Amino acid sequence: MNPNAHPPSDSATPTAAQRFARGFELAYTGLMRALEPPFAAIQKRIGIKGMAYVFVAPNMIIFSVFVALPMILNIWYALTGSNRLMMEERPFVGLDNFSALLDCKDYLDVNSCKQDRFWRAVHNSVLFVALQVTAMVALSLVTALILNGKLRARGFFRAVFFFPVLLSPVVVALIWKWILQRDGLLNALLMAGGGERVAFLHDASWSFFWTVFVSVWAHMGFYALILLAGLQAIPADLYEAAEMDGTPKWRVFWRITVPLLLPTLLVVVILSLIRAVQAFDEIYVLTGGGPGTATQFIVQYIYETAFANQVHLLGLAAAASLLVAVVLMVLTVLQLRISYHGKTS
Amino acid sequence: MFKQLKTITGGLLALCMPVTAMLATSQTAKAADPTEVRIMWYSDGIEGDVMRDLLDRFEKQNPDIKVTLDRVPYKTVVEQLPALLDSGQGPDLARVTDLGGLSRHYLDLRPHLKNAKYFDDNFASSLPWFRPVNGAKDGVYGVMTQLTLTLPLVNATLFQQAGIPMPGPKATWDDWAKASKAVADKVKAPYPIAFDRSGHRVSSLVLDMGGKFVDGDKPALIDDGFKAATKMLVDWHNNGTMSKALWGSVGGTTYRGATEEFANAQVVFYMSGNWQFTQFAKTVAKNFEWQAVPNPCGPGNCSGMPGGAGLVPIKTTKNPQAVARVVEYFASEPVYEEFHARTLFLPAHLGIAKKGINYQTDDANVKKSLAIAVDQVAQTSPVAFRLQGYEHNRILFNATISRVNQAISGEMSLDDAYTRIQADIVEGLAAKGIKLQ
Amino acid sequence: MASLTLDTITKSFGQVEILHGINLDIADGEFVVFVGPSGCGKSTLLRVIAGLELATSGTIAIDSEDVTHHSAAARGLAMVFQSYALYPHMSVYDNLAFGLENMRMPKDQIDQRVQTAATLLQIDKLLQRKPGQLSGGQRQRVAIGRAITRNPRIFLFDEPLSNLDAELRVQMRIELSKLHKDLKATMIYVTHDQVEAMTMADKIVVLRDGRIEQIGQPLDLYNHPANRFVAGFIGSPRMNFISARVTHCTAANVSVTAGGMQDTTLPLDGTGVRQGDTLSLGIRPEHLELDAAGDWTLTVDVVEQLGGTSFIHGTLPSGEALSIAVNGQTGVTHGQPIRIRPKPGMVHLFSTTEGEKALPPSPHRL
Ligand SMILES: Nc1ncnc2c1ncn2[C@@H]1O[C@H](COP(=O)(O)OP(=O)(O)OP(=O)(O)O)[C@@H](O)[C@H]1O
Ligand SMILES: [Mg+2]
Repeated sequence: MNPNAHPPSDSATPTAAQRFARGFELAYTGLMRALEPPFAAIQKRIGIKGMAYVFVAPNMIIFSVFVALPMILNIWYALTGSNRLMMEERPFVGLDNFSALLDCKDYLDVNSCKQDRFWRAVHNSVLFVALQVTAMVALSLVTALILNGKLRARGFFRAVFFFPVLLSPVVVALIWKWILQRDGLLNALLMAGGGERVAFLHDASWSFFWTVFVSVWAHMGFYALILLAGLQAIPADLYEAAEMDGTPKWRVFWRITVPLLLPTLLVVVILSLIRAVQAFDEIYVLTGGGPGTATQFIVQYIYETAFANQVHLLGLAAAASLLVAVVLMVLTVLQLRISYHGKTS
Repeated sequence: MFKQLKTITGGLLALCMPVTAMLATSQTAKAADPTEVRIMWYSDGIEGDVMRDLLDRFEKQNPDIKVTLDRVPYKTVVEQLPALLDSGQGPDLARVTDLGGLSRHYLDLRPHLKNAKYFDDNFASSLPWFRPVNGAKDGVYGVMTQLTLTLPLVNATLFQQAGIPMPGPKATWDDWAKASKAVADKVKAPYPIAFDRSGHRVSSLVLDMGGKFVDGDKPALIDDGFKAATKMLVDWHNNGTMSKALWGSVGGTTYRGATEEFANAQVVFYMSGNWQFTQFAKTVAKNFEWQAVPNPCGPGNCSGMPGGAGLVPIKTTKNPQAVARVVEYFASEPVYEEFHARTLFLPAHLGIAKKGINYQTDDANVKKSLAIAVDQVAQTSPVAFRLQGYEHNRILFNATISRVNQAISGEMSLDDAYTRIQADIVEGLAAKGIKLQ
Repeated sequence: MASLTLDTITKSFGQVEILHGINLDIADGEFVVFVGPSGCGKSTLLRVIAGLELATSGTIAIDSEDVTHHSAAARGLAMVFQSYALYPHMSVYDNLAFGLENMRMPKDQIDQRVQTAATLLQIDKLLQRKPGQLSGGQRQRVAIGRAITRNPRIFLFDEPLSNLDAELRVQMRIELSKLHKDLKATMIYVTHDQVEAMTMADKIVVLRDGRIEQIGQPLDLYNHPANRFVAGFIGSPRMNFISARVTHCTAANVSVTAGGMQDTTLPLDGTGVRQGDTLSLGIRPEHLELDAAGDWTLTVDVVEQLGGTSFIHGTLPSGEALSIAVNGQTGVTHGQPIRIRPKPGMVHLFSTTEGEKALPPSPHRL
């Protein structure tokens, strides 16, 4: 900077930035001065320790309005019936919603259940979670291992694998729908290669496969990144020590990499488990739960029962969401336990 | 406690509906002087633009009223409006299709109208559709913005290319199915028959096959007509007359049309309705010849299902007077006629219907189709009108479409589907406080 | 037990050459220490020997067998890392046994080896613990134990004591020397602590910027540093260097004047220098003594009294700094001018040209 070109600010007209800064300073000091008397008064009343509560109060209010209250409301909805939205119009029905949901002659045969849709969704979700989490953990581990290796253009590949994570789930689903639909890219390629058109999205097994595939594709980068961080936290000299010890590659993997990555791996398993149970957006856009109910999962069941169907069975949906919440809570506690242990050891 | 909860839930809901809520606050802030009337409006075609144009004219004549047209997707009307209404946060007027299901939120305009008799005379057939069960027997609870009728649209060019003649006016569903399949096979079109994925469209097939739907004020859905029609749908999906690619691409009760496929000349016979005309005038243009054809016949009827959208005043409005003036303006003969002439909709106004509308279109396909549609309205079966007037018809429609779909995708037998449909209806009605048996 | 030969080893990372042609012979059973300032390539050289890095050019032979292209495991060496690199999830026992399991050695044999090493290092009570439950010194022993169990041809140590506190360091230093004597193994030991180098080594290799500056026994390096760098690096406190001018030179001796003292004549080969040349005169602090008749006058700046020894830091009239070590305690105080003189025969002369070589001793010396 040439000092002659920019004379000191107080001798000439201030620049826009300076004026902004000065205005900001004025506003800030003004605000602080205005706030001081009331806060000072409060502090005089309740003491300096009490001030902590004053400062967390806004947050607590937001939390209670947007998190705690809806949770309580949800419980209340689960205990009441009818399709009405307003509390006072909803008759109390006790545990009827729960017993309706759990009314099954044989839990493995959805057709024997009163709420067959709920149980179809549960069955689909269980299968989905099992397949998706297995695939997710295996593939993200392989990806992380490859990305952690000596690879040409490593940064580029890391970005490539992480990219889908940045996409909105709806965009992900639309991209894949465009690829998989009847006149989509994949069928065009198949037919150009002389193959037969495949009903990727309206054959039950195919469409289930694609929901797993697309959700793994969309989120794998995130877990691969966590695992990559875990891999990089393993000191390089352990591998050198193993090399000096003449350890075969597979033994290095099983005896050193896996045990040291285990805490990270468990966090990934639980996180992906929780997210798989919550799967909704991509799948809703990709298959809409179809064909039939082949890809309808538990969250979609809740959504449709509460909002999309003409008669809004809010109580039933709330009860179902509470059952899911219990499952998720168990998983979350597990995850906290594990990550806590990971930190202390 | 309950009062407080009510306010809190109301507030929460308002927060959950950002679009509407924001529109509401930003508009009320500005319109200090004139009274504001807010309309929640969805569009299939150009009717939003036409309405706005007509409302601009209204505002010029009535400077004391400002009309805001909140244009929303149809899904918002289906999924969010009911919650808004329940929480008392609704608009002043709304364009809805579930006329019966929401009727308890409507306002009777009769006390506010200058000339109520005009409505009695000209909207006699559709006024009952709006009336709540416990409402005034002569109440004016809304006015149709459009009368619709389900009917098939056919790609005539494909028939010509295949060298197969189109079945005549009294042809049966079987005739059409066979002919469409033959045409599709010949010209390699993937969808011989496409249906909108909607219980309402399925109902028009049920109607023709002899279904009765209701018995007095009780639903009586599962009868021989219903069974014959649903079996037909399953068979069609199994023998390739209908493709699983359309209904199979979504689940539950989700609507799925085939307009894109029809416009791409992939569909031979498309069971939809007259509201598609304007759209195809644009998307098909002169690419091929298409037309509406009379509803095919079955053992029961040769009728389509009526339906439509109505403009309904909402009870919670603060300005019933102004709302009444907007509705009166819209329903007045010249305005109503212009609206329908420009949108190519079928009028529910008896006087205009009798006189005939001079539709503003040069499209030969649309002209031909409009003539058929107008003629078909006259042929509509009383059973169809009764179903349209049945307050809980949506429960029947939704149970039908979701369960029949499961049968089509092979998840359950048709017999199981019938059992489930019955159970769904019982459950739905129970939630509305109606006990069957 | 093995000998090692390095022949013009170079090592580059990408475009940058780090080692520039290292030649080195290590005899069987020798304890060799690599010293040099940080970043000079000690670790790199050790890793090249270990096989963790491959040499860019040159050959490595162990017992005359060319192992340049052998993998680390195939070379049969063991390395003790600065960070210990113990497997944190395995018990001490498993850490010691891991390498043996890789060789598919029978279990009882493994057990015997582990027990022997553990007893030798006095960690036999700790075998069931995890590394996280050990002290720094214990970890160090485990790391060494891991090397011992494998019975390697050569032990490699990369600054193994640098993470320990001073006291433990001294203790471990002695133990390592003892271990060397007991095992009679060839050991290569990297450090930048020259006390460790002086005390433990049979042979010290001084490295600078990827080149060997001098190889020799510790006292050789102390007494006859090949150049000014080695002279400055070996010995503590550091050697003093002051500028000197040649007043007279022959093949038999060189006379210089420095720091205002009268001509000093040294029995060095003066054929390489000419009268009037500037040289660097080196004298270790312990080789200067207080003497009222001394040539040099020193103005005292700081006096450090350690009890057993005292260090006097001062300035010569030429403005150059100079330190002296005196036995016992001293009465010298700050600001006081004192007279000093170098002990005879303890003065070194270094050229100031490229390489700063020490002037060679006179061939005519008696
Ligand atoms: N993997 C590598 N890639 C690039 N340069 C490296 C690599 N390893 C070491 N170097 C460079 O080689 C030079 C020598 O490093 P080295 O680790 O051998 O030094 P050192 O003598 O062991 O030092 P210290 O006493 O600090 O441990 C340094 O300049 C270092 O930056
Ligand atoms: Mg090093």
